[in-house]
Amino acid sequence: MSEYRGWIHQRQKELMQQWYARLDESARTGWPPAICLMISGNCVEVLEAFGIVPIYPEVNALQLAIRHQSLEPILAAEELGYATDNCAYVKADIGAYLMGVTPTGGKLPRPALVLCNFVGCNTYIKWFEHVAAFLEAPLYVLDVPFLRSEEPSPADVAYVVAQLHEVVRRIEEITGLRFDMDRFREAVRCSQQVEELWSRIKHLAQRVPSPFDAYFDAITLMGPLYVHRARPEGVEFFRLALAELEAKAARGEGVYDREDFRVVIEGPPPYPYFRAFRDMFARWRATAVASTYSTVGGIWEFGFRHDPEKPFETVALHMLAHNLTNRNYLQRYDQIRRYVQQWRADGVIIHFVKSCRLFSAGQGDMRDYFTKVLGVPTLYIESDLEDPRYFAEAQIRNRVDAFFEALGRHKRAIAV
Amino acid sequence: MQLAAGVDVGSTQTKAVILAGDGEPRILARALVDTGAYVPRAAELAFHAACREAGLDPREIGMIVGTGYGRYRIAFGHAQVTEISCHARGAHFVFPETRTVIDIGGQDAKVIRVGSEGEVRDFVMNDKCAAGTGRFLANAAEVLGLDLEEIGPLSLRATDPVKLTTVCTVFVESDILSYLAQGRRPEDILRGVHLAIARRTVSLARRIPIEPAITFTGGVARNIGMVRALEEVLGLPIQVSPDSHFMGALGAALFALERLERYETSS
Repeated sequence: MSEYRGWIHQRQKELMQQWYARLDESARTGWPPAICLMISGNCVEVLEAFGIVPIYPEVNALQLAIRHQSLEPILAAEELGYATDNCAYVKADIGAYLMGVTPTGGKLPRPALVLCNFVGCNTYIKWFEHVAAFLEAPLYVLDVPFLRSEEPSPADVAYVVAQLHEVVRRIEEITGLRFDMDRFREAVRCSQQVEELWSRIKHLAQRVPSPFDAYFDAITLMGPLYVHRARPEGVEFFRLALAELEAKAARGEGVYDREDFRVVIEGPPPYPYFRAFRDMFARWRATAVASTYSTVGGIWEFGFRHDPEKPFETVALHMLAHNLTNRNYLQRYDQIRRYVQQWRADGVIIHFVKSCRLFSAGQGDMRDYFTKVLGVPTLYIESDLEDPRYFAEAQIRNRVDAFFEALGRHKRAIAV
Repeated sequence: MQLAAGVDVGSTQTKAVILAGDGEPRILARALVDTGAYVPRAAELAFHAACREAGLDPREIGMIVGTGYGRYRIAFGHAQVTEISCHARGAHFVFPETRTVIDIGGQDAKVIRVGSEGEVRDFVMNDKCAAGTGRFLANAAEVLGLDLEEIGPLSLRATDPVKLTTVCTVFVESDILSYLAQGRRPEDILRGVHLAIARRTVSLARRIPIEPAITFTGGVARNIGMVRALEEVLGLPIQVSPDSHFMGALGAALFALERLERYETSS
C-alpha cells in the first residue's frame, strides 16, 4: 500500500540538508556560532535573534536511528558505562560524539553554549551536563517549572522571563554578539506565522479522509518546525505545505486510495524501524489524524501563538505551558480525548518507549482510561524510539493486526 | 458441501483444522506437527495431514485461512487473521457463553475479552519476553528431568508449594535448582511454577475486565495443573475444551468458512 508522497517530503529533505550545511560551516569556520538546544518547548527564537544556529541532539539521534546507524553509538556509550536502561537518545548522541559520527557525515560544531531549555526530564539535564563536559562547552540550565495547574502562574512566567534575559546576557558575553530586539521580534513574528500555518495544517486532518498522516507525515514536517520556525524560509515552507495539503483536501484525496481507519497515536515512533512501523498501518489503510508526539516542540492547534508584541513573555509561556512534555498526565489525557472527539478517530495507539520511563510510565493507566472510561478502543505496544534491540516486528505486527481486525468488526457492527 | 481449513502456525507447533459448512459447522479433521525451522513446510504438512484424516483431496478445500506467528509464510493460504481473533472465534464456537479467553501458547500469553458474537472487544498480551508462557513450563520440566505431560498432574500432588520469586524463563532454572538443593519435593516446586504463571496471567487479565465464562485455550490448556492453578488464583471456574490446542486453527477455519459463504453469496 503506497501512501502520499508530495512536495513537502522533498522540500523537507532540502531544508534539513541546509541546516546540516550551516552546522558544517559553523564547525569548519566558527561562523555562525551554534548552541545546543532541546526540542521540548524550544526557544529557538532567542537564538535566531543572534543569527545563531541551533544544534538539536535529539534530531541528530533520531536521524542516526532512521538511517539504521544508532546501534553502534549506543554500544559505544554502553562500553563507557551508560546503563542499558538509560535513554537511548542520550546514548546514541553521546556515542556519536565519541565516535565522531554525524547523521550526514558532515561535521558538528563545538557549541558556544549548551542550553538546557527543558527540565521536565531529569535525564535531559544529565544529558546536557555530559555534552557540556565532553565538548568542554559552557552550560546553562534554564529552570522551567513543571506545569502544576491549568495555566502557569504570573510568578512562573516572570521567573522564566528573568532567566531568558540572563541567557541573552550570557550569549552576548560568550559570542561577543549584541542582542537585537528588532531581530528578536522578527523571529517571533516568523514563529507566529508558522504556528498559524501549522495549526491550519493540523486541522485539515479533521477532514474525512484526512489529506495527510498527522503522525508519519507530521514527523516529516517537525524538522522544519523546530529548525526553521523562526526564519522566513520556515514561513515559506509551511505556506506551501498548507497549499499542497489544502489542494489535496479539496480534491478529497486521503493518505491512501481509501481511508479505512482513523487513529490517534501517542508516543514517539520506533525510528530504527520507521518504515516497517509505518507499513503496519498502511496495510490497514489506517491514517493517524492526530498525534501527541507532534506536539513535543509545541502545541499550537488549540490556539497558542508567539506574539512579537510580547516576545519574552510568549517564549516563556510556550516553554512553560504550550508543549507536550511540560504538562501533566491529565492534560495529556485531555489532549488525546479532544483529538479522538474533534478529529473523529476510531481508536488510540499507545507506543511505549522502553528507554523513556519518564514519559512512558503511566501509559498502562492511560490505556485503561481510554478503554474503560471513554470506551475508545486502544492498543498498547512497546519498543524503543532509538534502540533497534527492542523492536520485535512479528509481535508488534501481531498486535496491530489484531487491533484493526477487531476495530473493523466493531465499525461494521456499528454501521449495521 | 462447503469445506474450509484453518492453519495455525505457532512458535512451537502447527495445527490444522478442517470444517464442513452447510448448517452448523462440523469439525472433520485435526492435525498437529512441530513447527521447526521451516515454517511453510510445517504449514503444508499439517494441512495435508488434516486432509488425509478427513479423507479429502486438498483441492476440495474451498478456503484456507492462516493464523499464528507464521501466518504470512503459509504459501497456500487465501487470507490471514491474527490468532487473537481466531482464539476468540474458536472459543465462542465451542463455548458460546465465553466472554474471556485466556490463551497460553509456547511463547506468549494473552487475555481476550470476547463479545456475544465471538468478536474481540479488547485484548492484552505479555510483553515480548517469554516469561510465564509454555516455554517457562518446558524449561521447568527439563530442569527436573520430566516430560512436559507429567508436570501438570504431578503438581496437583503438592502439599507445600514453593513460592517462586521469578517468572523469568531463564532464571527459573537456577530458582528450581536452589529449591532442589534445599531438598524440596518436585511436586511442590512444580505447583509453585504453575501458580507463578497463573498469578502473572491473572494480573495481565485484570487489565481488562474479567467476565465469566472464562475459556482457557492454547497448548498449555492441556496441562491440568495449569487449569487448577488458574482457577485457584482467579477464584472462578474455567472451561477447557478437548480441542483447546486447536482453538486458533478452529477459529481460522471458521473465518475461512465465513469468507467462503460471503464469496458464494456475492458470486
